[in-house]
Amino acid sequence: MSEKCILIIDDEESIQTVVEFGLKMTAGWEVISASSGNEGISRAQADHPDMILLDVMMPEMDGLATFRALQLNDQTRSIPVIFLTAKAQASEKRLFNETGVNGIITKPFNALELAQQICKVLNWTE
Amino acid sequence: MRDFQARSLSPPDRPHDEENSIAEELRQQQQKAELFAEVTLKIRQSLQLKEILSTTVSEVQRILKADRVLIYQLWTDRTGKIISEAVLPDVQSILGYEFPDEVFPTDYQTLYAKGRVQAISDVSDPKSGVASCLIDFLTQFGIKAKLIVPIVITLNPHSGDQVKNNKLWGLLIAHHCRQAPHDWSEFELELMQQLADQIAIAISQGELLEHLEDMVTDRTAKLRHVNLELQQEIVERKQAEDALRCSEEQLRLITNALPVLIAYVDAKQNYQFNNQAYEKWLGKSPESIRGKHLNQVWDCYDRMEPWVSKVLSGEVVIYENEIQWIDGTSRSVSVTYIPHQEGKGKQQKIKGFFALITDISDRKAIERMKDEFISVVSHELRTPLTSIHSALKILATGRLGSLTRDGHQMLEIADENTDRLVRLVNGVLDLQRIEAGEVTMNRQVCNAADLMVTATEAIQAMAQQYDVFLSTAPIEVEIWADADYIVQVLMNLLSNAIKFSSREGRIELTLRCRANQLQFEVRDWGPGIPPEQLERIFDRFYQVDSSDSRKKGGTGLGLTICRKIIEQHGGRLWAESVLGEGSRFIFTIPPLNYGEL
Repeated sequence: MSEKCILIIDDEESIQTVVEFGLKMTAGWEVISASSGNEGISRAQADHPDMILLDVMMPEMDGLATFRALQLNDQTRSIPVIFLTAKAQASEKRLFNETGVNGIITKPFNALELAQQICKVLNWTE
Repeated sequence: MRDFQARSLSPPDRPHDEENSIAEELRQQQQKAELFAEVTLKIRQSLQLKEILSTTVSEVQRILKADRVLIYQLWTDRTGKIISEAVLPDVQSILGYEFPDEVFPTDYQTLYAKGRVQAISDVSDPKSGVASCLIDFLTQFGIKAKLIVPIVITLNPHSGDQVKNNKLWGLLIAHHCRQAPHDWSEFELELMQQLADQIAIAISQGELLEHLEDMVTDRTAKLRHVNLELQQEIVERKQAEDALRCSEEQLRLITNALPVLIAYVDAKQNYQFNNQAYEKWLGKSPESIRGKHLNQVWDCYDRMEPWVSKVLSGEVVIYENEIQWIDGTSRSVSVTYIPHQEGKGKQQKIKGFFALITDISDRKAIERMKDEFISVVSHELRTPLTSIHSALKILATGRLGSLTRDGHQMLEIADENTDRLVRLVNGVLDLQRIEAGEVTMNRQVCNAADLMVTATEAIQAMAQQYDVFLSTAPIEVEIWADADYIVQVLMNLLSNAIKFSSREGRIELTLRCRANQLQFEVRDWGPGIPPEQLERIFDRFYQVDSSDSRKKGGTGLGLTICRKIIEQHGGRLWAESVLGEGSRFIFTIPPLNYGEL
C-alpha cells in the first residue's frame, strides 16, 4: 500500500492519538491532526492530505459546517472526507450521505481496522 | 189462612136520587183528583222514603177515615214488619210489629206480586173467606174490615219480562176497627192502589238514588284512591328528582374536583356537560360552552375531527394532542373518547361520547429528558470508548512493547469488557430510540432467504468459536421488512442460541409460510427456560441465570430490542421451551401482500 497522508479533525486528543497509532501501525500512513474545524481547514489547505477523517460533533464549528467549508474551497474540494460519528441511526446516516460526503464510520471503531475501512469506503486498492 | 180468598168488589151503592148521585160522583172525582195531586205532590216533595211512607199513611187515613192505615214491609225471608202507621188515638197502634213467615206464605206473595187486591168488609163474616185462626189473629188488633193493596216495584224497568221483574216490596193496608161491615168503595180502592203505585215509584226512585249514592260513594272512593296514588306518584317523582339532583350534584362535585377535563358531547358534536376544569385550564366556563359545537371551542378542531368521527362510529379512542392553555402555554394532553351507545345490534345508536382530557405535559417533559439523557450519555460514551477500545487493541498487538502472560490476560479482560460496554451502549441507545418512536422501520421488499443467509454467515464465526453446528433451511419468499433490523433480530436469536448450547451442539434456523404470516424459528437443544420465565426474559436486563449472563457476555437488552423490532413490523416474538430439551424462539412477520402494499 502506498504511503498516504491522513488528516484527522477531532476535538478529542485521545482519538487523534489512537487513530495516528492505528493507521501508522497497520498501514504505515502518515497522520496529521487538527482539534477544530478551522484548524482542520487550514491544515488541509497547507498539507493537501489524501483524505480527511472528520468528527461530526465538535464545539463551535461542527463537522457538517467544516465539510461545507471544505467543499467551498477550491484547494480542498477534491479531498475525500469520511465522517466519524457517534450517531448511528439510519436516518442520521441518510442525512450525512445527502451532504455528498464520501463515507461514514461509526464510533466506537477499532483503530487497527480503520485503514481497512477507509480503503473500502474510498475504493483504495492496496 | 190458605182458604183466604179475595172477595169480588161489590158495586158502590147508588143513591136513589140520580142527580144527587151524579153530583156526589162528580164531587168525589174532583176530590179524588185533588187528593191525588196533593198526595203526589207531598210524596214527591221528599226523597226520604220514611217521610213518604209516613205522609202516605197519614193522608190515606185522613181521606178514608180509616181507623188504622199501615205499611207492612216484606223481607226476603218472608217475615215482615210494620214500618209506618197512621192510627186514630183510641185505636191500638201496631207499629213495629214483626210477623212470622207463616202469616204470609209464598203463594200469597206470588198473588200479591201479580197485583191482587184484597178488600174484606167484615172479617168475621164467614163469606169473607178469612180462616178462623186468622180471625183471632185479626181480632187481637181490633180489626173488623180491611183493605190490602200490594206495593210492587219493578226491579229492572228496561228488561222485557215485566212479571219476572216485579217484586212484592210490601203492603199498604187500611183497617176499620169500630164498625163492620165496611164496604170498600171503588174510590177507596183506587186511592189505595194509586198511592201504593206512588210508593212503589218512590221506593224505586229511592233505591235508584241509593244506588246512585252508592255509585257516587264508590266513584268518590275510587277518585280518592286515584288521587292518593297520584299524590304518592308525585311524592315518589319528587324524591326521584331530588335523588337525581343530589346524584348530579355529587357527580359535579367529583368531576369539578378532578384535575381532568371531563365533558359529554352529543352526536351533533355539541357540548352538553363540562366540568369546572374547563374554566381553570382554558378560561371557558361550563355555562358558556354548553350547547356549543366543538369547533367553536377548540382552535385545534382540525386535529380532533378524525378522532371525533371515529368515536361517533362507536370506537373507543385514545390519542395525544397539544392544546393551548389559558396562560398561552402549549400543553401535551392525553385524550380519551368513550362512545355513549344505546340499544343493541342493529338498533344500536351512538347518542354522543364522553371526553376525558389529561394533562401529560410533565410526564412528556420527563420522558423527553430521559430520552435526551440516554441519547447524550450514549453519544458521549462512544468517544472515550473508541479511545479505550483502540488503545487496548493497539497494546494487544505487542508492538509497543511485550507484555507478560498475566499482562496479556488482563489486557484481554479489559478488551472483552470494552466490547461488552460498546454493545451495552448501542443496546441502550437502540432501545431508547425505538421506545421514543424515533426509529422508523425502512421497510422494503426483501427475500427472506437472503436475510437468513446473511444472519447465518455473520454468526458463523461465533458458532465455530463455540463449536456449535448451525443449520439453515432458507426459503425464497418475499417479505415486507427492514432487512437490517430483521438480520439484527436473527443474529441476536442465533447468538443467544449459540451461547446457551453445549459444545458440539446443534442449532436450526427455519421458516414456515402460514396463511397470513411467515414464521421464523431459531431452535436450540440447550438447557431450556423454566416456564415461569418464558415471558420475563423479554424484560430489559432480565436473564435466566445471572451467573450465566456474565459468562456469556450479554447485555440483557437483546431480546427486549428484538421484540420491539418485531412489533414495529406488525409481528410477534415469543419463546417456547422444555427444560432439558432446549428452546424455540419464534417470530412472525406479515407476508408481503398483507395490508401494507
